[in-house]
Amino acid sequence: MNENLFASFITPTLMGLPIIILIIAFPNILFPSPNRLINNRLVSFQQWLIQLVLKQMMTMHNLKGRTWSLMLISLIMFIGSTNLLGLLPHSFTPTTQLSMNLGMAIPLWAGAVITGFRHKTKASLAHFLPQGTPIPLIPMLVIIETISLFIQPMALAVRLTANITAGHLLMHLIGGATLVLTSISTPTAMITFIILVLLTVLEFAVALIQAYVFTLLVSLYLHDNT
Amino acid sequence: HHGGRATRIFHTGQPRLAPLPPLPEYGGKVHLGLIPEEFFQFLYPKTGVTGPYMLGIGLILYFLSKELYVITPETFSTISIVGLLVYVIKKYGTSIGEFIDNLNEQIIAQLEEVKKASIKQIQDEIELEKAQQAQVQKCHYLSDVQRNSIAMALEVIYQERLHKVYKEVKNHLDYHISVQNMMHRKEQEHMIIWVEKHVVQSISAQQEKEMIAKCIADLQLLEKKAQAQPVM
Repeated sequence: MNENLFASFITPTLMGLPIIILIIAFPNILFPSPNRLINNRLVSFQQWLIQLVLKQMMTMHNLKGRTWSLMLISLIMFIGSTNLLGLLPHSFTPTTQLSMNLGMAIPLWAGAVITGFRHKTKASLAHFLPQGTPIPLIPMLVIIETISLFIQPMALAVRLTANITAGHLLMHLIGGATLVLTSISTPTAMITFIILVLLTVLEFAVALIQAYVFTLLVSLYLHDNT
Repeated sequence: HHGGRATRIFHTGQPRLAPLPPLPEYGGKVHLGLIPEEFFQFLYPKTGVTGPYMLGIGLILYFLSKELYVITPETFSTISIVGLLVYVIKKYGTSIGEFIDNLNEQIIAQLEEVKKASIKQIQDEIELEKAQQAQVQKCHYLSDVQRNSIAMALEVIYQERLHKVYKEVKNHLDYHISVQNMMHRKEQEHMIIWVEKHVVQSISAQQEKEMIAKCIADLQLLEKKAQAQPVM
């Protein structure tokens, strides 16, 4: 049971070959590039969706921030698609691995912060001290703000990992409970199954929301620093 | 920019010279959303209509009974996820498809608008051009009328001047004629006066007495003649 619970989270290999690379590259196939004036339904739908997301997310940035548009839209598309594909049975979700989320969070956060320090040094340093603090508290507050700054990438990565992993684990556990309960008392199994269905709906939402949150926070860090 | 390196040609096939053929607009017919119709047609001669379905059910039962497919907790999440997906697609599939078709229709409609506006503008310009040409055709009436009126005005002035010239010349000639007449009259009078003067001068006193006696004798004769006539 213990081995089974975490079996879906081990890095997939096929006869010793890491197919994790194929799994990460797979969502790319699902986004065909438009090559005509009027495309098929899939491409048109994706075009419309990406335009919606782009408008909603990038209006708050200035010109310098908008150079990150491609990066941020790719990010939300990737995280959203990998999360949603991970809901399929017997599939592997790359975003459950902390290593990958750290690999996404740290460079993006560091890029935003270093841009801020490079171009607006005084304003970036000023972020370490909120306005209107009483004078005796200043040293402590600077330390706290520094810690809060350096915890941002960790928080980004761990938030995504924990949410997706917890969702998958919960579905697995409740599925296991349903399985065991079918032979004990069927009505309880039905109730548990309904809980599972509701959880699935939540998981769909969580998959999309987590992608959105990740990207939104990165864009917020960007906004602060451009 | 190559640094002098020889480059091999990458594309060795023939390039396509014509546009690609259009993609099919709708996918092939499928059963259960997964299995193409061709498979059912392939099995139809041997097993009839229910053949593929029996095959599917048989395979599933075989895998379940032999535990080649184990029912795990994951099975239930599979059931819930796949059930949810099928439900959502069946319920909202067509409306989402129509929505996406609308998106494409809007793009096409915009381009049609541009095309129609362009065509309409060109047609309007053609109409305008034709109207202007028609107007230019009728312009000659106006110029004819103007030409006529100018000709008449010129004619009038010419006649007027001719008349004036005639009057002037006549005036001059009348003047000369009246001068001549006057001279002629004056000369005649002068001559008459001169002639009378000389005749009167030439008549001597003797001649005068003789003339008077003759005249009296004539008159006496006439008187006698006159007295004889009224008797007749």
